[in-house]
Amino acid sequence: MEKEALKLQLKQQIIQFLNLVSMKPEDIKDDEPLFGEGLGLDSIDSLELIVLLQREYGINIQDPKEGRKILVDVNTMVDYIEKNRTK
Amino acid sequence: MLYIHHTSCISPQKTYGGEALSFDKNSVDGKLLSIEPDYSGIPINILRRMGKAVRMGVGAALPLLKPGQPNGIIFGTAIGGMEDCIKFLNQIVQYEEGMLTPGNFVQSTPNAVASQIGLMTKNTGYNITHVHRGLAFEMALLDAMMMCEEKPDAEWLVGGVDEISAYNYNIERLGGWYKTADASSENLFTSATPGSIAGEGAAMFRVSGKGTNAIAAIEAVETIHTKEIIELSDRWKEFLDLHFGKESPELIISGDNGDSRIVPFYKAIQETTPAGADILRFKQFSGEFPTATGFALWLAVSINKLNSLPDSAFISRRGIASYRNAVIYNNYKGEQHSFILVQLP
Amino acid sequence: MSRILVTGMGVVSAIGSNVAENRQSLINGICGITRLEGFQSRFAGLMPFGEIKKNNSGLAAKYNLTKPGITRPCLLGLMAMKEMLDDAGLDEKILRSRSTAFINATTVGGMCLTDELYHDANAADTGSPYLGAYDNADTTLFLREYFGIGGVVNSINTACSSSANAIAFGAALIKTGRADRVIAGGVDCLAKFTINGFNSLHILSNELCRPFDESRKGLNLGEAAAYVVLESEDVAQNKKSYATLTGYCNANDAFHPSSLSDTGVGPYNAMHGALQKASLSPGDIGYINAHGTGTENNDLVESVAMQRLFENQPAFSSTKGNTGHTLGAAGSLESIFSILCLTNQEIYPALQFENKIPETGLIPNREYRKYVIEHVMTNSFGFGGNCTSLIFSRS
Repeated sequence: MEKEALKLQLKQQIIQFLNLVSMKPEDIKDDEPLFGEGLGLDSIDSLELIVLLQREYGINIQDPKEGRKILVDVNTMVDYIEKNRTK
Repeated sequence: MLYIHHTSCISPQKTYGGEALSFDKNSVDGKLLSIEPDYSGIPINILRRMGKAVRMGVGAALPLLKPGQPNGIIFGTAIGGMEDCIKFLNQIVQYEEGMLTPGNFVQSTPNAVASQIGLMTKNTGYNITHVHRGLAFEMALLDAMMMCEEKPDAEWLVGGVDEISAYNYNIERLGGWYKTADASSENLFTSATPGSIAGEGAAMFRVSGKGTNAIAAIEAVETIHTKEIIELSDRWKEFLDLHFGKESPELIISGDNGDSRIVPFYKAIQETTPAGADILRFKQFSGEFPTATGFALWLAVSINKLNSLPDSAFISRRGIASYRNAVIYNNYKGEQHSFILVQLP
Repeated sequence: MSRILVTGMGVVSAIGSNVAENRQSLINGICGITRLEGFQSRFAGLMPFGEIKKNNSGLAAKYNLTKPGITRPCLLGLMAMKEMLDDAGLDEKILRSRSTAFINATTVGGMCLTDELYHDANAADTGSPYLGAYDNADTTLFLREYFGIGGVVNSINTACSSSANAIAFGAALIKTGRADRVIAGGVDCLAKFTINGFNSLHILSNELCRPFDESRKGLNLGEAAAYVVLESEDVAQNKKSYATLTGYCNANDAFHPSSLSDTGVGPYNAMHGALQKASLSPGDIGYINAHGTGTENNDLVESVAMQRLFENQPAFSSTKGNTGHTLGAAGSLESIFSILCLTNQEIYPALQFENKIPETGLIPNREYRKYVIEHVMTNSFGFGGNCTSLIFSRS
């Protein structure tokens, strides 16, 4: 899958998983921090995103701390998915 | 004595916010669903995670937090966020206990409502959730009364909420608690069949032990567990004797839910009340749910300002311009009973 | 003001079927956290649990219960309450009195029947026998009816602090003259629902939990029922009593739905408030039964809060290393363990502890010893930042 298409798909999945009802994919910038400022997600969201990576891309992250290094922004997530996806 | 200073109610009727109040919404498919506001006071990033019970509870609470921080939050809910609870349960089954998303689990605990209000408003005081089914709201009131006796200057947010989700509707329906035919608010009291109609809502009250500028006072909250009508009648007589002597309350707000198995309890209450009380029924407006007495208390507190209550809601009505007191009697599933005595200024 | 005495106790947990057995296990440092046998779960082989090795049919037969729809918390609650009532000498007449209240706590309740609930909630055409059993009040109503309790009856759910709050609510009933005696406590059972819930938050350990240890990896879930009788001194008169409930306070951390703030706002306020209620200063506390779940967040924050409050850290430990985290039952279970310390003037060894947490350097008590204690504190902190501390003093 093309990187840009993967980004769009991932954004749609993030919106669905986290129930970001009022957002559209274009509202999430590729380099906008997911946590803290930016999207303003919290630690429970990070656990939800780890489940997203597992269910949608077959990526298993056991340690949530490791997850926080991957879940920086859409760019870092897409890079990680491209390298590690099993489906 | 517990004094009520402000009140807020989200219900199937127009009871919330500044709009004109009205009581003309009927049930659809045996359900009275709440008219939910737009929740503009809840940040969108927090709102997205909230199930209906949490949303209604927080939404009803927010207007009462404007006068400043209360000393604590005292809450009653029988089931809390049942929808989130079952969503999580469904994940357990669907993914065979694999990796699951924790959001539903965290929101499913009944104390999510009170803790969410505390979290949003940074309230570090007393925070408690009573879950005693059909008396969950009464226990919150009792708790608040005890708090007010101990610290009369302190202010408390007290409330109750329960939701209709597809799931608890199914469980209650299978349990035989909803009418199977002709289930509607219009026919609730004439159908003479077992079961009631489903309801939901949130009612919140800002209370203290001080009577200055109060809009109502709660003099007594009594709760009884019995399946015997005779025991109930005896307790009711005793309650009226204690608080009214030979007089009658001016208004009785009856939790009659049209369930032919429960109606005899309400009849017994009516028959053992000295003549002279007006009797008002409310479950055709709220539907039946475990914390429906929150709606009844909101009704009692607001009664002298409600011009839109239809005459048909009263079993008897003498046309009193302004009630000075009201007693709510409610019965949940034939075994949990409460009397709430409200004094009006 | 009349004092509030503890005149009876009853308990069943993974380390014993009554108070005496539990005490013996605490003295001997017995860990009751083992492999799951009672029901099928993917986690049965993956992590240990503080399971009570008694099956439901055996318990139902023991009490001649044949009615369908009776859940495990009803059965465990019954077992603990029977011991407590015998212990306190409460007969049927006293139980029926309107001045006898019953305050019960549970977080899981009948939802331990996770599969039945799934079936009923998703509307199969006929219901299971458990349709009325899923809410948090079901166990309370079963026990109320079984014992015919005549006074105020209530159910509380504030997650893991539930039964500590049940005890505090009971105390308020006595103080305000609404009850002369209160049966207060809680029960929770292992359930797929909570196992998967805590797992989804990544706070379950696949090894034995290590409260207050540097390398702790999370908590182990357990199950228990534990009840106490609180009696106003006026009515208890010359009855034996184990302790006086002198302090209780609930405070909200108001930080996060499932973890505590760095400085422990809620834990500090709960402990501080309980001391104020008891008119005691920090130096009066001889032992703290800490919440100490073994999660990274709780044990660090609880340590920080204790250090902020106590100039000299009292002896402390978490008995969750013995029993696992029993959720809604933890507050009353650990109240009983704290009272045992007080009445026997002894403290029990903390299990699975090796190295202190570097940030705080606190070391829990590691061996059984006789110990002079006048006042004990027990902490219970729950989801939503719900924090409660209780203080028991020598009668």
